[in-house]
Amino acid sequence: MSLIALPLAILWFGGVILALLDGTERRFGWLAVGMLVAALGATGLLAQRVLDQGTQEMRLGNWDAGIGITLRVDALGITFALLSLTVLLCALLYETLEGIGARIFPALVLFMALGLTGLFFTGDAFNFYVFFEISMIAAYVMASYGETPRQFRAAFLFIVVNLLGSVLFLIAIAGTYHTTGWLDMEKIRTRMPLVAENPAILTATLIFVAFSIKLGLFPFHFWLPAVYTGTRPAVAAILSGALANIGSYGILRFGADLFPRELHEGGRVLIVLGAASVLYGGVQAVARHTPNEVLAYSAIGQVGYILIAIGIGGKAGYAAAILYTVLNALNKTLLFLSVNLRGWVIGAAFAVGAFSVAGVPPVSGFFGKLELFQLGVDDHRPWFVVLVFVGGMLSFAYMFELYRRRFWMPGEDGGTPRSQQVLVGMIALAIVLIGLMPEPLFQLTQHAASVLPEQLP
Amino acid sequence: MTFIFAAGVAILFGAGAYLVLKRDLIRLIAGMVLIGNAANLFIMSAALRRGSAAVLPFSGTFSDPMVQSMTLTAIVISFSTTALMLALTYRVYSSHDSMDLTQLALAEEAQAEQDEQDTGAGEPGAVPVDERVPALSGVRQEGGV
Repeated sequence: MSLIALPLAILWFGGVILALLDGTERRFGWLAVGMLVAALGATGLLAQRVLDQGTQEMRLGNWDAGIGITLRVDALGITFALLSLTVLLCALLYETLEGIGARIFPALVLFMALGLTGLFFTGDAFNFYVFFEISMIAAYVMASYGETPRQFRAAFLFIVVNLLGSVLFLIAIAGTYHTTGWLDMEKIRTRMPLVAENPAILTATLIFVAFSIKLGLFPFHFWLPAVYTGTRPAVAAILSGALANIGSYGILRFGADLFPRELHEGGRVLIVLGAASVLYGGVQAVARHTPNEVLAYSAIGQVGYILIAIGIGGKAGYAAAILYTVLNALNKTLLFLSVNLRGWVIGAAFAVGAFSVAGVPPVSGFFGKLELFQLGVDDHRPWFVVLVFVGGMLSFAYMFELYRRRFWMPGEDGGTPRSQQVLVGMIALAIVLIGLMPEPLFQLTQHAASVLPEQLP
Repeated sequence: MTFIFAAGVAILFGAGAYLVLKRDLIRLIAGMVLIGNAANLFIMSAALRRGSAAVLPFSGTFSDPMVQSMTLTAIVISFSTTALMLALTYRVYSSHDSMDLTQLALAEEAQAEQDEQDTGAGEPGAVPVDERVPALSGVRQEGGV
């Protein structure tokens, strides 16, 4: 069972060691990459075991059941952990090849990986908050990486808004504890049906608002464009590809798993907000010119689909939401990393990302859209099918416009090191390969969705 | 007792929210601290029972130790985020010479305009503004004659 603690231990000790070293030296950047690869490997082994033998559990400190904090890894958590670690690894590799500009950066990436892995692995609601704060604090510092006046402004906005979200989440955890008497998620799940309707819906709303802020959903999105346009490409990739996963995982774990009745009641709200997000993000992205701004609004639009899929619910809805989260995170990583580079490999990679966002076969984004389309047809929601088409058209328009502006323009060619071109090319290749062989990913997301209760208790 | 707790949480949160809406960064941080403390007080009030300290040997009812450990953790976290926010405020101050949100918003607007010009000038099809205007006025003159 110590396999659960292994990735966390690697990341924690690695982060502490790196915090003492000068991260601007290239060898320490590679050391951080090595640690992250080791943690990813350990998580991969754990994933193998989870998928073969089912949910793995471990009680910290060998306390009795019901007293100690539990780490509980199921297929949902491990999927998100693998995804986030992969995104972080890509971003760290990119930054190491570029030349790290701040001594703390490698340590921050590892601490964020620790926070994310921890919150995907934990089975305790308050422990979730603690890991959540670890990754958020790493993100706050990271947002000012680059240290220009603009990045300080962005980081300040980011801290204030997200800290408010964290406080709301903390209040919701206290409310959950008071109404159910437990912090262990498994116990909360069994007690939740007994809780009176009003406190439960209040707590669920607070949790929803807290995670929507992380996700950058339409009415809570105002911080997102300023932060994404201000930060460096690697940080933007980390925020949109790894940190935003907290939002979708949180809504799935707390909404679908712990508060299924409240999620069902609020399903319509989720769908309306999601649809508003898709349209708002798409239209704004078409209207914008700066590359990072277009991608930031695109991110707002893309999370709308995830929210609608969760709002529709059921096994198919959750599976579609998880699949779309995975594909969206990979797309955003590729796009944010490639948009500021030049060269024909980068151009091709960016085109792959653009097609993936728009949902054109054979790139993997097509299957995300296909799954949503299928969901709309099966669930007899014609408007959703229309929305997927309209959203797809909007994203095709803004992605192609961005491609034209960035890569068809005469300008200085080269300047981008070959190693970075290879890295971005590899990510693009992975996205194409997933598109050509989507079966394993489909199975993984189906498996992940199967841990969530399908019917109302 | 419940009412006192509720009133305390409400006052702290309300005062904090008021300060967060101020334009001065230090007041804003003070507001965040107050809101954080409102959350801490809320956790304490979420205790399942009240009584003496939860230390062996027990005498009578003892208070819920769980919320106390949670609050302690939350205090540590809010302490560290406050320190981080203050450090960042200092960097904002030293790079903008101002701690007023109006100034920061102006700087943000100037930056956005700059970005728009940078990308607009690079448009392959776009004609620079100073070339376009004489051409248009020329057409108008011809039409007039």
